[in-house]
Amino acid sequence: MIEVINISKTLPNGKKLLDNISFKVKKGEFVGILGASGAGKTLTLRSLNGLLKPDSGSVIFKNELGEKVNICTLSNKKLRKVRQKIGVIFQGYHLVQRLSVLENVMIGRLGSITTFRSIFYGFTDAEAHEAMGALEKVNMEHLANNKVSSLSGGEKQRVGIARAIFQKPNLLLADEPISNLDPKNAKLIMKLIKPLSEEIPVIGVFHQPEMTAKYCTRVIAIKEGKIIYDGKPNLSEDQLSEIYGEELSTLALQAK
Amino acid sequence: MKIAEFKISRYKNIVLPLGGLIFLTFLASKSCKIDFSDFGEGIVNGTFFIAKMFPPDWAAFPEMLQPTFDTILLALLGTFFGTILSLFIAFFAAANLSNPWVRNITRSLISIERSIPELFILLILITAFGLGAVPAIIAIALGCVGMLGKLLADTIEDIPPTLMDSVASIGANKIQIIAFAVMPEIIPNLISYALFRFEVNIRLSVLLGAIGAGGIGYELENSFSLLEYHRAFSALIIVLVLVFSIERLSSFFRNKLKNAIVLK
Ligand SMILES: Nc1ncnc2c1ncn2[C@@H]1O[C@H](COP(=O)(O)OP(=O)(O)O)[C@@H](O)[C@H]1O
Ligand SMILES: [Mg+2]
Repeated sequence: MIEVINISKTLPNGKKLLDNISFKVKKGEFVGILGASGAGKTLTLRSLNGLLKPDSGSVIFKNELGEKVNICTLSNKKLRKVRQKIGVIFQGYHLVQRLSVLENVMIGRLGSITTFRSIFYGFTDAEAHEAMGALEKVNMEHLANNKVSSLSGGEKQRVGIARAIFQKPNLLLADEPISNLDPKNAKLIMKLIKPLSEEIPVIGVFHQPEMTAKYCTRVIAIKEGKIIYDGKPNLSEDQLSEIYGEELSTLALQAK
Repeated sequence: MKIAEFKISRYKNIVLPLGGLIFLTFLASKSCKIDFSDFGEGIVNGTFFIAKMFPPDWAAFPEMLQPTFDTILLALLGTFFGTILSLFIAFFAAANLSNPWVRNITRSLISIERSIPELFILLILITAFGLGAVPAIIAIALGCVGMLGKLLADTIEDIPPTLMDSVASIGANKIQIIAFAVMPEIIPNLISYALFRFEVNIRLSVLLGAIGAGGIGYELENSFSLLEYHRAFSALIIVLVLVFSIERLSSFFRNKLKNAIVLK
C-alpha cells in the first residue's frame, strides 16, 4: 500500500510543479497516470521512491517490516532500504548496456546484498537461478547471455520487468514503459505488467488512454501539477480533451 | 559577387592578417633580440653535427635494450597508477556522483594540475625523494590527472540520467552505482584514454630519464655529454622507433575500441 498525502513542489521562481497531489493505491490496483507533457507525471512518480523530495506533504509506504514510513523524510540509508522494495521501470536507457541480460536482472538485488559481495559481481547460483526464472516469466530466458545493447526496445523493457520481478517489490512504478514501442510490443508489455498488480500496487505513467482504458483498474489524470481526475479507466472524449488540451489531436493521430 | 568585391574580401581575409602577422613577428624578434643571421649558422652547424653522429654505434644497441625496457616500464607504471588515481578523482569531479561543491573544487584542482608541467613536478619530487625511478613514476602518474581526470569525469557525466536513477532506485549505494552503472559504461573510454596518455608518457619518460630517472633518456643525454656521438645516435634511433611504434600500437588498439565506445 502506498499513500500520497498533499505533496507539493514549487520552483524558486514560484512555478508550481506539483500542487497538493494526494492519492492512495492498494494491492489489486493497476493505476494509470495520464496527462499532457510537462504535467508533472514523472515528478509525481519520482516522489514515490524518493528520487524527488517534495517541499511539503508525505508519501507513506509500508516497509519490509510492515512499519509505515514517510519516504519524504527518510535518511539516505533508510531510503535505500525502502527502495529495495520498490521496483521501477523507466522509459528508454535504464539498463546497463554492456552487461548481459542476466546481469542486468541480477542488479535488481543490489540493494539487499553487501557492497563487498556486489563489487565482485558475487551473485550466488541460487540467485542466478531465480533471475533466470524472472526472465522466463517475460520470455527472455533464451537471450540471458546477450549484451543488453543488442536488444530491441521491446526486449529491453521486458528485461526491465524481469529485473523488477526479481527484486520482489512491494510496489511497482513504471514511467512510460511503452512509449517507444510499437502497438504489438506495447500490448505485450501491458499484459506482463497487469498480473503483477494482483500481488502489489502498480502505478504507471502512460501516454495512451486506450491502453489504460483496457488494462488499468483506475486512472489518475494530472494537469499543471494538479490531479483533475481520479476514477474509472474509461474516459469520455470531453474528459480526454480536458486532460490533453491542444495535444489531443496529435495523440489521436498516434493511436491510428 | 562582383570582381571588385571579391578583391576587397581577399584583401581583408588574407593580405591584412598576413601583414599583421609579419609585423608582429618582426616586433617579437626585436624584443627578444633575435638575429636572423644566427639561423643560417645554426643550420650549417646542425648538419655538420648530424654528419658527425653518423654512423650509429651498432655495438651499443644490445646494451641499450635494458635502458629502453626501463623507460617503457616507467611509462607503463606511471600510466597505470595515474589512471587509477585519475579515475578515483573523477568520481569526485562528476556532477552525477558528487555534490556541487566537491565537484567544482575537484575540477579546479584538476585544471591546476593540467597547467603544471610534469618536469616541474619531477623537480619538486627530486628535492623530496632524490633522483631515481620512484619520483619519475610519481611525476608521470600525477601528470595524468590533469588530462585523464577531466576526460573521465566528463565521460561519467555523460552517462544517461535514467540509468543512474534506475540503479539508485533499486537501493544501491554509491559504490554499487559505480561498480554496476558507471564502470561498465566508461571502461572502453577509460582504456582508450589511458592508451593515449601512455603515448604522452613514453615521451615524458624519455625526457625524465635524461634529467636523472635513468633509462634510454639517460643513455642519450650521457652519450652527448661524453661526446660519444655515434653512441648518442644509436640512442636517438631507439627513441624515435620507440615513440613511433608505441604511437602506432596505441592508435591501433584505440581504433579497435571505437566500436565498443559508440555502442549505445
Ligand atoms: N529538475 C527540474 N527543474 C526544473 N523544472 C523541472 C525539473 N524537472 C521537471 N521540471 C518541470 O516540471 C514539469 C513537470 O515535469 P514532468 O513531471 O517531467 O512532466 P511529465 O508529466 O511530462 O512527466 C515540467 O514543466 C518540467 O519542465
Ligand atoms: Mg515524464
